[in-house]
Amino acid sequence: MMPARWWQRNSQRVALGSMLLPYLIGLSLLVIGPGLAGFALSLTDYNAIQPPSWTGLENFRRLPGDHIFRIAVLNSLLYIVLAVPIRLVGALALARLLQRPSRGSLVGRAAVYLPTVIPDLAWALIWLWILNPIYGPLNQLLGLVGIDGPAWMVDPYTARFGIVLMMIWQLGEGFIVCLAALGSVDPDLPDQAAIDGGGAWSTFRGIILPVIAPVLLILLFRDTIFSFQANFVPALIVGKGGGPDYATMYLPMYIYNTAFNYLRFGYAASMTVAMYGITGLVLLLQYRLTHRWHEGFGRDG
Amino acid sequence: MGSVRGRSPFWIVAVISAGVVFLLPLYWAVVTSLRQTGRPLPRHIEWLPSPAIWSNYRTVFEVVDAERFALNSLLVASVAVPATILFASLAGFAMSQMPHRYRTRLVAVSALCLMVPLTAIWIPRFLLFKEAGLMNRRVALMAPALMGTSPFFVLLFLWAFLSVPKEVYDAARVDGAGAYRIWAGIGLPQVKAAIGTVGVLAFVHYWNSFVEPLLLMRTADTFTASLGLRMLYSLDSTNWPIVMAGSVLTIVPVVTVFVLAQRAFLRDFRQVEGRR
Repeated sequence: MMPARWWQRNSQRVALGSMLLPYLIGLSLLVIGPGLAGFALSLTDYNAIQPPSWTGLENFRRLPGDHIFRIAVLNSLLYIVLAVPIRLVGALALARLLQRPSRGSLVGRAAVYLPTVIPDLAWALIWLWILNPIYGPLNQLLGLVGIDGPAWMVDPYTARFGIVLMMIWQLGEGFIVCLAALGSVDPDLPDQAAIDGGGAWSTFRGIILPVIAPVLLILLFRDTIFSFQANFVPALIVGKGGGPDYATMYLPMYIYNTAFNYLRFGYAASMTVAMYGITGLVLLLQYRLTHRWHEGFGRDG
Repeated sequence: MGSVRGRSPFWIVAVISAGVVFLLPLYWAVVTSLRQTGRPLPRHIEWLPSPAIWSNYRTVFEVVDAERFALNSLLVASVAVPATILFASLAGFAMSQMPHRYRTRLVAVSALCLMVPLTAIWIPRFLLFKEAGLMNRRVALMAPALMGTSPFFVLLFLWAFLSVPKEVYDAARVDGAGAYRIWAGIGLPQVKAAIGTVGVLAFVHYWNSFVEPLLLMRTADTFTASLGLRMLYSLDSTNWPIVMAGSVLTIVPVVTVFVLAQRAFLRDFRQVEGRR
């Protein structure tokens, strides 16, 4: 019996459909439904005690005048500008370093990936300790080489860098993806370039980078989107709820406060809708910028 | 350039530095966890605890009900991880057997769902669980297993099932086997690597999960490991040796699973490279 006819038998269609059913029900109940419900909720006033009351676009009219919301948007954008490129370049550099299989590079890969599997809360507490300006090991290490370390989470200015710093270690997913992308580059290409007299950097830039550019672009988008959930636990624990002086008040932190501390679920939902919009704009900007970059490669080659 | 780059002293120094830098935070956590409590905090860096107070780890169990928190996390993982493998592999298999046009649509839906940040669905999900009477019920933490925990796991199984030669499936169909028999008898034995990878990643996901229990679990008897650690921290937030001992205890299960599985986990790339 041919596969096409096998598929056309009703019993097999029903069987395959039933295999998909739990997944589709789960997606609808836990992702798609809540995603859409968030839009509806953003048009209401809801405290989870009284039934929601319809307020139309009132929540959205209030957003631009909300001082903390504006701070949270700027903080989130600053986090993306700082953390996403460092994490991407770091993941790529480490993948390049540990690309060739050997006992040493396998141990290196495990060491690089390990911080990524650490529970968020434990990781945040460890960094709360590491970033302690007086007793923390980081500033004491800097002291050994004669550097007077910054006050980290005590100073609003350096607090932003503290959060970015602790997120650099958890770049394992991007690292794995870069390893896979580098592994898929035709090994004859770089060798050919070496024969032609290209240096290591020009080989990388001219030959390898253009091949893996689409993967890097997807990683860039993914990391941007995920930065809107990744910095919640750091802001909650290391920033002690978005501090000091709102320096780590990112959008997820403010949404959490608004919904679960102040019970303003409708207003918080309108912020998540705004978050979709901001994410979309950032992705569009990134796409435009990298599009030009990509075309530049075409001209170089 | 390959041979030059291979094992040059520069490469060795770079790899060792990277390894040290990435493991340093964990090393510092362990050193601090062994410090004597109540002693003034160090003014200069300490590379080794002297004396090493191993009883700090026992203290964690005395201060909070750490066994119960660990058991709650293990209970959630022991149901959710096998359920994840079951539902994700079923969905991935079904997608691999469908005509191309249906598969493309399902992949697109999965990819789109993968792009939704969890932050955006916290609130409606919380309200849904609240209305369904699942607050403070551990089953609420297992619920995502129904959708294979993440569309990413379903796609992982789809790719694994698609890489099995078509003839293998066709032969079974000629014998008149149904979809479930092909999935269990032919498909699953061919995708052991995917089962292992999804199993490890799902365990890490459920053990590490913090925000969902934070929103849904209200009383200490339902707390998971991470919530218990937060409780320990809030009880005495400046007692760093005990806070670090609790953190290390929370880390041990995932690191153990990762170290045991990392060969399989990171070996895939070695196979790819070995084949060239």
